Amino acid sequence: MIGWKGRLSLTGWILGAITLVFLAYQWLPIFTLGLLSFSGPTGGTTFPMNGTSLHWYEELWRATVMNDFKPPLVRSSLLALACSATTIVLSVMAAQAMRGQFRGNGWFFYLMLLGIMAPGILVGFGFAIMMRLMGVELSWDTTTFLVQVSWTLPFGFLTMLAVFNRFDKKVEEAALTLGASRLTAFRRITLPLVLPGVIGAGLFGFSLSYDEYARSMFTTGPDATLPLAVMAQLDRQLTPEIYAVGTTTTFFSLIAVLFFTLAFWAMRRSTSLRRSSSA
Amino acid sequence: MDALAHDPVEGAAAPAHARPQLDLELINIRKRYGDFTAVDGVSLKVSKGQFVCLLGPSGCGKTTTLRCIAGLEEPDGGDVLIGGKEATRDPPWQRDIAMMFQDFALFPHMTVAKQVGFGLEMLKKPRAEIAQRVQHILKSFEIDGLADRKPASLSGGQRQRVALARAMITEPRILLLDEPIGALDYSLRETVMLELKLLQQRTGISFIWVTHDQNEAFSLGDLVVVMNHARIEQQGPPEEILQRPATAFVAGFVQGNNVFRGRVKEVLAGMLRIETPVGMFLVPWVAPPPMLGSEVSFSVRAEQLTDALSERHVNRLSAVCTAVEYFGAVRRHVFERSDGEVLKYDQFGAHAARIVPGQRTVLGWPAEAAVLHAGAGQ
Repeated sequence: MIGWKGRLSLTGWILGAITLVFLAYQWLPIFTLGLLSFSGPTGGTTFPMNGTSLHWYEELWRATVMNDFKPPLVRSSLLALACSATTIVLSVMAAQAMRGQFRGNGWFFYLMLLGIMAPGILVGFGFAIMMRLMGVELSWDTTTFLVQVSWTLPFGFLTMLAVFNRFDKKVEEAALTLGASRLTAFRRITLPLVLPGVIGAGLFGFSLSYDEYARSMFTTGPDATLPLAVMAQLDRQLTPEIYAVGTTTTFFSLIAVLFFTLAFWAMRRSTSLRRSSSA
Repeated sequence: MDALAHDPVEGAAAPAHARPQLDLELINIRKRYGDFTAVDGVSLKVSKGQFVCLLGPSGCGKTTTLRCIAGLEEPDGGDVLIGGKEATRDPPWQRDIAMMFQDFALFPHMTVAKQVGFGLEMLKKPRAEIAQRVQHILKSFEIDGLADRKPASLSGGQRQRVALARAMITEPRILLLDEPIGALDYSLRETVMLELKLLQQRTGISFIWVTHDQNEAFSLGDLVVVMNHARIEQQGPPEEILQRPATAFVAGFVQGNNVFRGRVKEVLAGMLRIETPVGMFLVPWVAPPPMLGSEVSFSVRAEQLTDALSERHVNRLSAVCTAVEYFGAVRRHVFERSDGEVLKYDQFGAHAARIVPGQRTVLGWPAEAAVLHAGAGQ
């Protein structure tokens, strides 16, 4: 017989193993794609790899008009940055408004969340129809931008609500009694304290917009975003070049995540957000 | 009354200035949250450099009153005058006040030096002056070694000092303190209380101190304001509140009072004969005397009772002792009255114990020891 502490550590090992299996399940496909993207010029999209080379990355770089991924990549990046910035501003404002407990804030909350619940294809399609009726030209930097913000905003909003939920409002009040106006108190006290949440909202905005397919499908007009371009290429011909695209963007995402993780870590070292405050 | 501290703007008699300026005046402050009345008709005058304690149970409106003074809440009615100037609608940042919060509300992302200088920064003082004044106040509060630390790495006592330094550095007219030592270890409180009292006397800044702890209120306050259910029950110097509680609530809230409720049976010369569920008692009245048959309450302090009776002790009561607590200077006996209420009897001085738990004893007190309450019998 083992004691309950022994069983506890056994449980820990089992759950740990399951977690590792899950992480492998999550990451191995991407790793496989990454590996295949380095296959030789005659290589296919499945194993075995025919030699190793950077051929498909070179292909990616000197692309023809037909399969050039660079313009969609630039569009998607710009779109994601714009969505990220918009999400940050609007979600901080909306969460601040929720703190004020205005009349109908419950309805506002649920309407915001509707953006998460509503199926993307329908939202995109409905939006495209409405724009057509209104005579608005569809384009990735106007219509797609709008419809994507309606998707990314609720995530940023929820993030900011959670952050403000454990925010000690006495700290703001202390600043007011020390002579800070509301704007100064927000700039000097509130914003620095919720900055990790703001960055989180921004990351949501970026990553959700960057790989959004359903909402972009009907709304981009003639110039496609990266997910649409990849999808179109898949329809035409399947080469490891697609894998090279995936690997490249994953690589840049990892760098971005790493950067923000480091920033978080540095900030946590200098600020302890977890205050010993109740209520 | 504080004529010395008053502006020396005189020469001829200045009738407009005849009244000594008050640091704070509250006139009939009212504040409601939906159906809940938090503050109801609170009026208060604080003269220059006064130490005022707002005392009351939680939810009595003392903190809301304080927040109305700070400008963090806007009263629904009434006026707030700070330094004689109308300030009811002024935002907090335009008021000549500072506030210390219960859990100190330090800025977690700023170093001690930075946040102590925050108030001066808001006043747009030059950088060099801020640095110098911060240095000075940190030194005088003996926390200059902590200047570069963040709040998370400070102990409770150190945080309290930082919060105080941050509030005091701009030398406000009034310092508002919301349970300022409630978050400290019990062993620290006595020391900190004494320090704060000395600081207040030295600086001449008016302190308005909110607490539910009567020891704090009575040992610190020049003026103690007892609140209950959004209203002021009584205000006055500590001695007055301890010796002459004005209402049954105050008598019951302040430690060491025995409260009795009954009906006026007879009005004599200077005395009432009051019938209570536990007997008839003589209680002196102050003008105007209550009506015959009206409901009244009165209280007797626990140390005014005795079990060594003489003919002076005209009010007598028999009760069963349930517990004896010994505090060194005082031995407190807890009795149960025949109506189930508690009766307390304090015996001062190191006398030998005379009463043991379970014993039935007759206790008495002289008629003049009882205090009749106003706001009859509620």
